[in-house]
Amino acid sequence: MTSTLNVMRHAFAAGVADYRSIFTWRSWVFGWMVRVVAQVSFFGLIGLRVADDRSAFYLLIGNALAVAAQSGIFSLNMTTGERWAGTLPLLVASPTSPVVVFAARGAYLAVDGALSAVLALFIAGPLFGLHLPWPRVIAVIPLTGLVALAAYCLGTFLAGIVFRFREINGLVVNTTYVGLMAACGVNVPLSYYPRAMEWLSHLLPLTNGLLAIRGVFAGDPASTILGHAALEAAVGAGWLTLALLTFNRLASRGRLDGSLDYGA
Amino acid sequence: MRGFLAGVRLQAAIVRAEYDVVLPFFTAPLFTIIFLMIVRHSGRHDLQPDALMAPVLMTMWWLALFQGGNFVTSDRWQGVLEWALATPVGLPAVLLGRIGGIMVFSLVGFFETWGVGELLFGVGIPLEHPLELALTLLATVFAMSGTAVAFAALFVLTRNAITFMNSASFPFYVLGGVFVPIAILPGWIQPVSSVIFMSWSADLLRASLKPAHIDNFWGRLGMIMLLGAISFAVGRAVLNLVLRRMRVTGELVAV
Repeated sequence: MTSTLNVMRHAFAAGVADYRSIFTWRSWVFGWMVRVVAQVSFFGLIGLRVADDRSAFYLLIGNALAVAAQSGIFSLNMTTGERWAGTLPLLVASPTSPVVVFAARGAYLAVDGALSAVLALFIAGPLFGLHLPWPRVIAVIPLTGLVALAAYCLGTFLAGIVFRFREINGLVVNTTYVGLMAACGVNVPLSYYPRAMEWLSHLLPLTNGLLAIRGVFAGDPASTILGHAALEAAVGAGWLTLALLTFNRLASRGRLDGSLDYGA
Repeated sequence: MRGFLAGVRLQAAIVRAEYDVVLPFFTAPLFTIIFLMIVRHSGRHDLQPDALMAPVLMTMWWLALFQGGNFVTSDRWQGVLEWALATPVGLPAVLLGRIGGIMVFSLVGFFETWGVGELLFGVGIPLEHPLELALTLLATVFAMSGTAVAFAALFVLTRNAITFMNSASFPFYVLGGVFVPIAILPGWIQPVSSVIFMSWSADLLRASLKPAHIDNFWGRLGMIMLLGAISFAVGRAVLNLVLRRMRVTGELVAV
C-alpha cells in the first residue's frame, strides 16, 4: 500500500512538472483562461440571442461545468504523450501497474479542470448578470471538483481502450468532450432528450453533478443536491472500476503484439 | 504553379493518412446537434439556418488553425523544412497549395452539417440566395487560407504553438460572430470584431440564407477578400523574414 501511494505521489509530481512545462502562469491566464471564459461566454451569448437572461444563465452554468469535464477527458492524451516520449514500453514493463501511474499522473487535470470551470463561472457569470447566491454558491466548488474527477475516471477508462491506437487519440478526446456537451443536459434540460438518451445520460459523468449545481443556484433542498452528488460520485467510481478492470489487460495486449512503441 | 499543385497533392496524401485532419468532421455533427437543440428548445425555429452555419465556420476555422497554421512548424519538427527550402520550387507556392487544398477540403463540413440537420431534425440549409451563398463560401475559403498563412508565421515564432492553437478557437468564435452577430456584443468589442474577416463572413452567410434582399453584397464580399488578402500579405512577409533569419542562424531544424 505504501509503495503504491509512493508511486502515485511521484506520478502526480511528474504530471505537475509536465503541466508546468506546457503552461507558464501568463500563458495559462492569457491563453487558456481567456479561451475558457470565451467558450462559456459564447454559449451565454447564444442564450441571450435565442431567448433571455434565464436561457443565458442556463447555458452559462452548463458550459462552465462542461469545462471541468473537458479537462478530465484530456487525461486520454497521457498515453499518447508517453508513447511520443518513448516511455510507454518502459512503464508497461515496470513492476508497477500502469493504471496506478496513469490515474495519479493525470490527476492534475481534474484539479486544473475544476479550477478553470469555477473561475469561468465566477468570471463570465457576473458579466452576464448571473446572481451567485452567497454562501450557498461555495457548494459549487466541491461539486465542480466531483464532476472533474468523474470525467477523469471516464478519461482513464477510455485511455485504456485507445492505448494501442494512438492515431485516433485526438478524435476520441474531442468527440468525447463535445459528446458530453451534447448528451449531459449542458445546453437543454434532460427532459428534452428522447427517453432512452435521458436514461443513458445519467450514466455519464457531468449529468448528475450538473443537476446538483443547478440545484444550488435554484435553492433546492440539501438532500436533493446531495442525492445528485452521490450519483455523480457513483458514476465516477463505476468508470474508475471499469478502468481498473480493463486497463492492464489492454496494455498487456500491446506488449504481446509490440504496438506500444512509438514507431509501431 | 508546379509548386502549388505539388502542395495540393501532398496535402491530399496527408488527409488520407492522418486521422487528426478529419477531427472537425467528427465534432461538427455534434455541434450541429447542440446548436439545433438550443434554438428548437427555445422555440426559435427562425434561427435554425444560423445554427447550421455556425459549425461550418467552426470546422473551417479549426482546419485553418490546427492544420494550415501548423504546416511550417510540423515540417520543422519532422526535419523536412530545410529540404523543402533547398528545392528549386519556392516554399510559399507549396505552402499555399497545401493550405488551399485543406481549406477547399473544409467545405465538406458544409454538406455534412446540412446532412446531419436533415437526417436528425429535418432541417436543411435554405438556399434563398444560392449564388451569394456560394460566392461567400469561396471568399471565406480564400480569407481562411490567408489567415492560415499568418498563423503559420506566428506559430514558427511561438515557443509553444499548441498552447496558442488551443486558445484561439472560442475567442475567435465570439469575436467572429460565428453564431451571435457582433451587433449583440458589447460596444467596445465591436471595432475589434469588425477587422476579423470571419465576422463579415458569418454575417453574409446568415444573410444569404434569409429571403430578404442582401444589402451591399459586393461591398461586404470585397471586405472579406480584403481582410483575407491583408492576413496573407502580412503572414507571407513575416514568414519570409523568419525563414531567412533561420537560414542565417541555422535554426531550420528543431533540436
